[in-house]
Amino acid sequence: MVSQAVQVDNLHKRYGDVQALQGLSFEVRADEIFGLVGPNGAGKTTTLRTLATLLNKDDGDVTVAGHGVDGDPDAVRRSIRYLPEDAGAYETMSGRQFLEFVADFYAQGDEAAAMVDRGVEIAALDDRIDDDTQAYSKGMTRKLLLGSALMTDPTLAILDEPTSGLDVQNSKAVREVVKEFPNEERSILLSSHDMLEVEYLCDRVGLLNDGVIVTSGSPEELMAEYDAENLEDVFLEVVA
Amino acid sequence: MRPFTRLIWKEARELLRPRYILPILLLPLIFVGMGQGFSGVEAQLGQEPTVGVLNHDGGEYSQVVVETLESRSNLAHRSTSGSVETALNETSASGGNAVIEIPENFTDRIESGERGRVHLYTSVESVSIVGIASSAQVEELLSHSAHNVTVAVTGATEAELDPIERDHTTYVKGRQLAAPPGVVSAAFTSQFIFVPVIIMLAIVFSGQMVMNSMASETEHKTLETLLSMPVERRSIVGAKLVGGSVVGLIATALYTAGIAFSNLSIGSVGETSALTLGAGDYLLVGLSLFFTLVGTLAVALCLGLFADSQQGAQMLLLPLSGLAIVPMFATMFTDVDVLGPAAKGILLAIPFTHPIIAPKRLLFDDQALVLAGIGYEILFSLAAVWLAVKLFESDRPITGNAGWLQRFVRLVQR
Repeated sequence: MVSQAVQVDNLHKRYGDVQALQGLSFEVRADEIFGLVGPNGAGKTTTLRTLATLLNKDDGDVTVAGHGVDGDPDAVRRSIRYLPEDAGAYETMSGRQFLEFVADFYAQGDEAAAMVDRGVEIAALDDRIDDDTQAYSKGMTRKLLLGSALMTDPTLAILDEPTSGLDVQNSKAVREVVKEFPNEERSILLSSHDMLEVEYLCDRVGLLNDGVIVTSGSPEELMAEYDAENLEDVFLEVVA
Repeated sequence: MRPFTRLIWKEARELLRPRYILPILLLPLIFVGMGQGFSGVEAQLGQEPTVGVLNHDGGEYSQVVVETLESRSNLAHRSTSGSVETALNETSASGGNAVIEIPENFTDRIESGERGRVHLYTSVESVSIVGIASSAQVEELLSHSAHNVTVAVTGATEAELDPIERDHTTYVKGRQLAAPPGVVSAAFTSQFIFVPVIIMLAIVFSGQMVMNSMASETEHKTLETLLSMPVERRSIVGAKLVGGSVVGLIATALYTAGIAFSNLSIGSVGETSALTLGAGDYLLVGLSLFFTLVGTLAVALCLGLFADSQQGAQMLLLPLSGLAIVPMFATMFTDVDVLGPAAKGILLAIPFTHPIIAPKRLLFDDQALVLAGIGYEILFSLAAVWLAVKLFESDRPITGNAGWLQRFVRLVQR
């Protein structure tokens, strides 16, 4: 077990003329949900993609589950699952086939079958799990993807806007699954624009603006520090 | 199932969707339909024609004509008087469309050393290949009639009428072939039009499939999920190359079968077996095509990274298709070896040229040049695969940013 699921030090990333991340540092501890919040263009998705080994960093150190994203990206990928904000599933597969497809990359035989059963349970799509995913609503696809992300028991689940586009009922169901996920060997790093969701789910929050963490702490600590009634007010205060 | 196998399975499922495969299936069906049509025409033209004859002459030589018509056609109407209209109507009722009218002075003219004259009335109801071609059958009947009249008038034998027998020796690039130039030409046409077209189709279809694969990942937002899973980038590249090429080659096989069924290709080279390729030659052509495909698909994969939709992928395929068509036409209408150094250099630099010219070179035992071409293909495919893996390891699959290449691609798309 690693006490820190994520350690980010002085992370820099530039896209052409735009400096997306400029010295970003934070950590995600084991058994916690860490929320990354900030305005549009603050660098949240860039950070999550870098941790998911989808983007190469320009400078800084990033360690996920004890593995450097540069030195051993395959080990990082084995330790994580990434749920992008705007993701889909393969339309020619049923929900169950999609889960089997993902499970094959992490386990074989009975272990893979158990993983798929776990994914089916998390997705909670009942009989529709055997329908082609092209017949799924956005909410159903999101729940399927969440099931595929958490069924592999990743050391770190990276969730970008996990309830994006979902109705109230589905959002609540997804939040409950996410809330129950962390334990001594599992953590979650999530990004969300929904401050109530972040306040409800996250043990600690990092407020990101212009590519750096401006402040971080538990929602209660941040509200006390900024003398705010809720996290939304903290966000507005910090961004202002 | 191992992850690599699972990835190939996934690619095949994605690419065998109706939206990708239906357009590919449609053209072979059209080819088969055309083939059936041509076969019908051939069958019809293979039957004896139905004609009528109106003989006003009654002399010896008009009788020779009538006997020829009796032996070589279905004579639906035969009379010595009456109108042409009646003769045509009766012949038409029996399925024919031509009446030959022999005037009364036919035999007299021939006996006096002049040419006999007949009048051919043809009724064309069907303005089609069948309708027009059937009149050629009647012309052939008259040629036979003229031949028989000549024999009757002169008493000449067949040897006297066609006293020169030909034996052919044709030299092609110093190689001696016991066949007339026309047959050699037909054999060359078969080898150098049909084979290059099939090779070009394999390149274009497989490239299209790989691009569709990438465009589909982008369109359905599955690429980020795929790239974040514990599988090496080269495995993803490899699976896309294998999946795309398998489906592309299936498509090529369907087209080839469609063309073969259609009888649109030049058929057997028959007696010019000296101009056909052996099993070893086909193996070398196959190797050349294989490495070209690997390289082409890797290039298509690189371009596909910048396609945001299937439509975008089609546009990006244009430069590749163009490069495949240039050597195809060059091989059809000229010989690469007789071109000037600049044109030859440009053509040989295009990787697609080598599998297309390989059959011709192998026919003339230029194996060293073919092997050199395969060496070039191996280098090309290694470089293209390396580039694809590097691109997949970069930010580009996610950001789509390709610097100067992106600006070029946008220019092409416009």
